[in-house]
Amino acid sequence: MTEDTSLAERRAILLQAAAEVGRAVSSILDRDDLLKKTVDIICDEFGFYYAGVFLIEEGEAGGGSPDEAKDTASWAVLRAGRGEAGAVMVAEGYKLEVNGSSMVGAATGTGNAMIAADVGETAVHSKNPHLPDTHSEMALPLRVGDDIIGALTVQSTEQAAFSEDDITVLQTMADQLAIAINNAKLHEQNRRLLEQVERRATLLEAAAAVGRDVTSILDLDALLGEVVYIICGTYGFYYAGVFLIDETGQWAVLHAGRGEAGAAMVAERHRLEVGGCSMIGAATGYRKALIALDVGEEPVHFKNPHLPHTRSEMALPLIVGEKLIGAVTVQSTEAAAFSDDDITSLQAMADQLAVAINNALLLKELEAAHEELVRSKTFEAIATSTLEAIHWIGNKALPITASVHLLLEDLDRLEVADAERLESMREDLEMIRDGAELIVSVQEHLIGPAREDEPRPVMLDDVVKDAVVAAGIPSKMVSYDVAAVLPLGRADTTQLRRALDYVLQNAVEAVANVRERHITVKVAPAEEKGFVAISIADTGPGIPEVEMDKIWAAFHTTKGAKHAGLGLSAALQILRQLDGRISVANRPEGGAVFELLIPAYEGRLPDEALPSGKAVLLMDDNDAWSRFVGSALENAGNTVAHAADGKVDLEPFDLILLDDVLETADSYTILERLAEAKMAGKTVVVASDLRVERTMSMLQLGARDVVLKPYTVAGLAEIVG
Amino acid sequence: MAEEVRILLVDDEELVLRSMEKTLLRAGFDVETAGNVRAGFALFQEALSTDDPFDIAILDLNMPGWRGEEDPNAGLDLLSKLIAAKRDLPVIILSAFDEVSRAKEAVARGARAYFVKGREAGLVNLVNSIIGE
Repeated sequence: MTEDTSLAERRAILLQAAAEVGRAVSSILDRDDLLKKTVDIICDEFGFYYAGVFLIEEGEAGGGSPDEAKDTASWAVLRAGRGEAGAVMVAEGYKLEVNGSSMVGAATGTGNAMIAADVGETAVHSKNPHLPDTHSEMALPLRVGDDIIGALTVQSTEQAAFSEDDITVLQTMADQLAIAINNAKLHEQNRRLLEQVERRATLLEAAAAVGRDVTSILDLDALLGEVVYIICGTYGFYYAGVFLIDETGQWAVLHAGRGEAGAAMVAERHRLEVGGCSMIGAATGYRKALIALDVGEEPVHFKNPHLPHTRSEMALPLIVGEKLIGAVTVQSTEAAAFSDDDITSLQAMADQLAVAINNALLLKELEAAHEELVRSKTFEAIATSTLEAIHWIGNKALPITASVHLLLEDLDRLEVADAERLESMREDLEMIRDGAELIVSVQEHLIGPAREDEPRPVMLDDVVKDAVVAAGIPSKMVSYDVAAVLPLGRADTTQLRRALDYVLQNAVEAVANVRERHITVKVAPAEEKGFVAISIADTGPGIPEVEMDKIWAAFHTTKGAKHAGLGLSAALQILRQLDGRISVANRPEGGAVFELLIPAYEGRLPDEALPSGKAVLLMDDNDAWSRFVGSALENAGNTVAHAADGKVDLEPFDLILLDDVLETADSYTILERLAEAKMAGKTVVVASDLRVERTMSMLQLGARDVVLKPYTVAGLAEIVG
Repeated sequence: MAEEVRILLVDDEELVLRSMEKTLLRAGFDVETAGNVRAGFALFQEALSTDDPFDIAILDLNMPGWRGEEDPNAGLDLLSKLIAAKRDLPVIILSAFDEVSRAKEAVARGARAYFVKGREAGLVNLVNSIIGE
């Protein structure tokens, strides 16, 4: 009876405790809380020494093919344990093999409750060093429907502490616990799902915000700045940066970056190679979003010294239609900040961003095209449609210069007591004279000498050298870099010489006030097929950014009132007429460099036989042109002598070819000497720039002819023949 | 100068004509002017029949033609006519342009010099040097 009573009492307590566990656990939704509460209630209410909850790991063993799953054991991992012993074991990752030789292994393997009355005697119980006082143990499977999700171990310091009845009661409690655990798991899953949905909604909202906010910004820099700001602000990311593909298509250049790191990298012109070994390189190369969760381990990520705290990175390509325009990098200080969902929503944002950037780029192009149009239209207006007006203005200004000249002469002869007034009048007249001369010079700059009928094949290195020498630039101030193989250009040399004069004049003025005065002339096939490039670089102060576009405008000058500001605009106009181009840039090492692109001569050179048997004197510097003429004439069976100064016996020569531009002498003076020696009639003066007054004066001296310098055998034949 | 040098100046730009005339007058030349090729040729012919013909002619290259029409060669035509009338007449051709081919054409037709307008200061010197030859 006593035994019955005590049994009945014990059962009542157990049932009560079980009910309490049931009540307590069913309301706890956090799994870890739930398990901890459970072991505490079991020990506190039942007075047991220890309780622990094992859960079978899901998908950790294998997870790959079914074969693999079979081979790999599954484990029951301790998730909660009573007291310090429990905490230590949980921290150690204490686990028992399902179906293994332990009580928990047996319970999880078979689905049956196991009792060991004295653990030392039970085969399936292994003595645990953390729980030295255990003398009996019960292992109860945790079941949800047919699935076993884990096991509950309850241990006592007494031997044979558990009866079959206890099993029933405790199993009821274990079943409730299993359901609660399952609920907690479902809840967790739901919570995660909900969180994902919410996160996605936030991301999409942020993406939409980027779309909304940025699509209306058409200024590219403002747009990109706003984008990095929104990405970091909305998502709380460590860093964001926007790269745009440069015109070569080979580099992704950083255009905007968050914070000081971004500003520093933009200033450094940070760029990454498309298809290269970086996240941006890979994203642009493969046109695919990429995630690196720990950037230290990802081979395509360079650890960036500006961004030391980056632990994960996402790179998103910016693509509009088929066109790759750049990439966005988003970086986080967390090790695994990005999921596949983030890719989806951030890529949605990147797509909108790409459209916005493309719009801004298109606008920029449009503006540039517009500016170019305005520029060219201004020219057409000035130099073409109002050619008449320029003549008219020039003609009206001409008498002013002449009249002022007469007035100034009169003033000199005037006897007036009021010397101060006289001086004032002189000053006024000089101002009128200067203004009128400037107006007259407009006509000369914009119209210049008449065009050749048709551009012809020319040796551009010779034309540039002539221009440099004729401009009176000291030879030690200039260095030449001429490509060994240089195609002929197609140009009107008189016009090209004008353009070169303006550019050289600009270079000379640029270096006037610097210590290191040097001009480098380079002539080589241009990168762009079908063109020869003449570049003229100076060591001057360079051109201020704000002036870069303006320098081409007519009447724009930074050099004071004496300049009409027409030189470079005339050069632009001339290059256009030659189907070439002219551009200017500042060199990284300082100074400005003008590049003139001249079309290469691509037609067949006319075939013309040279006469033979003549004695020709070539009066020229030893340069490319004289070598060409010398060998062409000799190959045709003529004798050729070189003399730059003409100090040779002139008698035997049938023909004298005199270059108009000589480094060490003046061809006019030489021609005067030839005239004295009665040899002017055998002399043909050749010039790459033919001007009327000089031509006339040389013809007056008796020169046989003054002609454009020929650069082909056919052209030479016309002179010699 | 022993006797006054007589200059015929022809240009259709009235102000240019007057201003050049003044420059030449001041330099001590006897100048007569005409505003078109027809009037210029008439003046020349008339003077030729007297005992005081023109010593030198200065002609604008770009003038309307004989009947007032657009004619780029009107100046050159007048040049040819004057040379035909007086073989050794020194003629200076004026132009607002730097046109080598036209200048050579002018020389081929017998012009002594070619002068680009706007560089007036040299005109008197040029006339003097031609007279001095």
